[in-house]
Amino acid sequence: MSLLNQTGSVIAMNVRSIPQRLWMSLATVGSIALVVAVLLGFLALANGFNQTLKGSGAPDVAIALRDGSGSELNSVVSREQIDLLGQGPGVRAGPDGRPLISAELVLIVDGIKKSTATKANMPLRGIGPNGLLVRPQAKITQGRMFAPGSNEIVVGAGLLREFSGFELGKTLRFGAQTWKVVGVFEAPGTVFESELWADAPVIQSLFNRGSTFQTARVGLTSPAAMPAFVKYVKDEQRLQLKAQSEQTYFADQAERSGLLIKYFGWPLGIIMAIGALAGALNTMYASVSSRAAEIATLRVIGFSGFSAFIGTMVEALVLSALGALVGVAICAMGFNGLSASTLGAGFTQVAFRLQIGPDIITQAVTLALIIGLIGGIFPGLRASQQRPLLALAT
Amino acid sequence: MSALIQLKNVKKTYKRGKESITIFDGLNLTIEQGDFVAIMGPSGSGKTTLLNLLGGTDRSDSGEINFDGERIDGYNEGQLAGWRARSVGFIFQFYNLMPVLNAAQNVELPLMLTKLSAGKRRANVETALKIVGLWDRAKHRPKELSGGQQQRVAIARAIVSDPKFLLCDEPTGDLDRNTANDILGTLQQLNQEMGKTIVMVTHDPEAARFAKRTLHLDKGVFAEVTQ
Amino acid sequence: MTDFDLVWKNLFRKPLRTILLTVSIFMAFLIFGILTSLNVALDRASESGSASNRLVVSNKINFTQSMPYAYVNRVAAIPGVTAVTYQNWFGAYYQDQRTSRFVGFAVDPETYMAIFRDEARLTDAERQAFLTERTGVIVGKSLADRYGWKVGQTIPISSNIYSQANGRRSWDMKISGIFTGAKPTDPTTAIYFHYDYMNETITFERDQVGTITVVTASPDQNDQVAKAIDANFANSPAETSTVDEKTFSRAFLKQAGDLNFIVTMVVSAAFAAILMIVSTTLVSAMRERTKEIGVMKTLGFSSPRVLRMVLGEAVLLSSLGAVLGLGTSAFILTGLSKSPVGSSFGDLSMSPVVALSGLALAVSLGLVTGAIPALSALRMSIIEALNRG
Repeated sequence: MSLLNQTGSVIAMNVRSIPQRLWMSLATVGSIALVVAVLLGFLALANGFNQTLKGSGAPDVAIALRDGSGSELNSVVSREQIDLLGQGPGVRAGPDGRPLISAELVLIVDGIKKSTATKANMPLRGIGPNGLLVRPQAKITQGRMFAPGSNEIVVGAGLLREFSGFELGKTLRFGAQTWKVVGVFEAPGTVFESELWADAPVIQSLFNRGSTFQTARVGLTSPAAMPAFVKYVKDEQRLQLKAQSEQTYFADQAERSGLLIKYFGWPLGIIMAIGALAGALNTMYASVSSRAAEIATLRVIGFSGFSAFIGTMVEALVLSALGALVGVAICAMGFNGLSASTLGAGFTQVAFRLQIGPDIITQAVTLALIIGLIGGIFPGLRASQQRPLLALAT
Repeated sequence: MSALIQLKNVKKTYKRGKESITIFDGLNLTIEQGDFVAIMGPSGSGKTTLLNLLGGTDRSDSGEINFDGERIDGYNEGQLAGWRARSVGFIFQFYNLMPVLNAAQNVELPLMLTKLSAGKRRANVETALKIVGLWDRAKHRPKELSGGQQQRVAIARAIVSDPKFLLCDEPTGDLDRNTANDILGTLQQLNQEMGKTIVMVTHDPEAARFAKRTLHLDKGVFAEVTQ
Repeated sequence: MTDFDLVWKNLFRKPLRTILLTVSIFMAFLIFGILTSLNVALDRASESGSASNRLVVSNKINFTQSMPYAYVNRVAAIPGVTAVTYQNWFGAYYQDQRTSRFVGFAVDPETYMAIFRDEARLTDAERQAFLTERTGVIVGKSLADRYGWKVGQTIPISSNIYSQANGRRSWDMKISGIFTGAKPTDPTTAIYFHYDYMNETITFERDQVGTITVVTASPDQNDQVAKAIDANFANSPAETSTVDEKTFSRAFLKQAGDLNFIVTMVVSAAFAAILMIVSTTLVSAMRERTKEIGVMKTLGFSSPRVLRMVLGEAVLLSSLGAVLGLGTSAFILTGLSKSPVGSSFGDLSMSPVVALSGLALAVSLGLVTGAIPALSALRMSIIEALNRG
């Protein structure tokens, strides 16, 4: 028999003998599945948050903030600065023929987070007619847009999912003013879905903001026009603003969520993986010792030690692959698309969905297979060193 | 001499699936204090069942089992366990030593069921191991001992708590002739010098020769007695 | 030899197997120890420095919205209020906005130190200096250690919210004192400076306060006083929301996410995994010993005693892993407490409650994993046991 045939039949014997150690093998599969599920859960959490942030930014929209302010909340932009921005290079014209600039202001109001029933920060954004033009993803899906000049609010679908108090038709009180929720908008996969929108001038007057804004979003003719516009804002002494592409702005924020994965997800995944690895090693050593007589007999017949090694190795890999499969299935059915929310960089809540993608599945499955590989190597070596004599001695 | 063990009209039936197999249908047996009885018989004759009944590890369906004036057939499981610990020393074919314990610790095992002090225990273990001639192997694990040595340790374990009665199940079944004879000689010595009452189940007529008498069991009945 | 010796020897019958099981259990308890302690520390951080007779008044719209300065005196006049102070969140950072942000509040020194005397401990000389120096700042000991600040030194503190009328975004502040917490474990990573110094120099939001802290005559009056305050400002442009300090900080922490939920899920997953690993391995280990258990029973060991030994072995195994795991996590937590990130959580070290619940968990884990083999040992008939293997 060739080495290949030998190995093939030993692998078949190994795999067929798994039911003899059914419970230990199932425990190995189960523990690896849990490792994969926990790691994948964290990865999906961060992935969903990142995707939402990245999905929010357009490459041909510049966002201008006060130089030095890290987020919209800390920024101030005046009417004069906005007019100056409109004179920059590459600015697209809106339907009215004037520069497409959405001057906006954001303030924080309280909402109630459904999962914890505690107060949470909701962004209330004041926008003008251009607000929707710089966010082509956003569409009113229920009710209607707020009427300019009125105390009306439209609410993001993501915010509705995670927080209570802003349902369609509801009347809200902020300070001495009452507001009415007249519409729900969707902007799938963006942070804007976690916002409340109202007419900018109304917010300015009711919240004593005078005529100041906090940010300006400037529509450019193309992404290629971005560098020139950014340079214009930097060099224009009267502006004292900093412009960047919306895409870069959100990508910077996404970077921070990587910390969750770096300091929490992976260490946990690895600690659990070591625990599961110990279990896998035990199962595989039990496999080798329960088949000691069988292996020794095969060795007497003339099978190589290598085939015994590969047989054990493949058994371990089969168990870990099964575990990975179950773990991915748990995540795909239990976590994928699950809605969550956390405090974003703007000090307001961002609602997002957990998202499993091929790249993070690959990472988790790799971890499972590493468990299988290490869990198979040492018991496999022991199997390959089984002396042919033993079978005869007993 | 008074009777140490008395079986009166003992009946025992096993159920195997829907079939019921009668092993004993009114067995009587008396074993005197200080006797050494070999029990022989073909497979299925009821030897093992008898051994289990004598050792209190199985129950009869009816009849009386008396030991030293006590009726043990009515004992519950806990009482039987206590009785075994006090009164019976067991010697098995495959020694059945605990692999994780060394010789001395194996011998000490039954003393864990007594209230003896640590010092007294150590003395008893030493005495028992010296009787079987293995005091110098006290610290060895079973797998470091030969078959004969392991059986000697098992004998020391059986006598360490000084029971009146030793029950041996094929004690030499796994040993070569010379070693077997050594072991049987030791049992004979325990019977003659220490007055232990011994019942030994065996296949081996040579072994039976070391006993004072041999009972032949066949189909649940003692067929013939050789003195 | 005692039963314990026997259990111990049996436990290490196959040392490799036992070591591997211990590693599994160790990892689960490491996760339990660290995550639970972090959770406890966060809970405690939300409560540290909160007194039962203190309320926080903030703008009803959201606590980031400010209130007119005039509210301070109006609140002070409400019956049941014995003291008030106020503070503005400054968005403070030192040199680098990304890496060195910390808690910074503009406060009214006299009333602030009267109320928070215990939370921010200063010497009399330092307190006096802080009262008299208009640009004075008191800094927490952890922060002073981190940046090497000394009393008397002038440091530039920047804000990511405010800027000065002269265009500068940093304020030169002179360190009047370095404070320590009520307990050595309380976080001291904040700075406090004069409200007036900030208010006179900022370009917008002048004469506005962020939150007002109220001391009530007794905790029993909290509800009544809170209602009175909120009623007082009802229907004004800046309505208020008044809650006790603990509720205020807890709601704030919950914003990041439901940490309790995540910790519970992860710890459960880790324990489900070792439960499977350990119980199935113990079942198979006990199956190897069926005959030995039969022999023990034959020798006269009672079934309950055998059951106790088998359970004891499982409990011993899980306790061994648990003690090592909890010990290691205590060690790691101590290290973490000293790191800059960890120190902002305050005392991270393992509390006795966590340690004890870990041990209780270990015993339950042992009982659960040992249950199947122990029950089969209990029920095993001697005859069957001896005939097997």
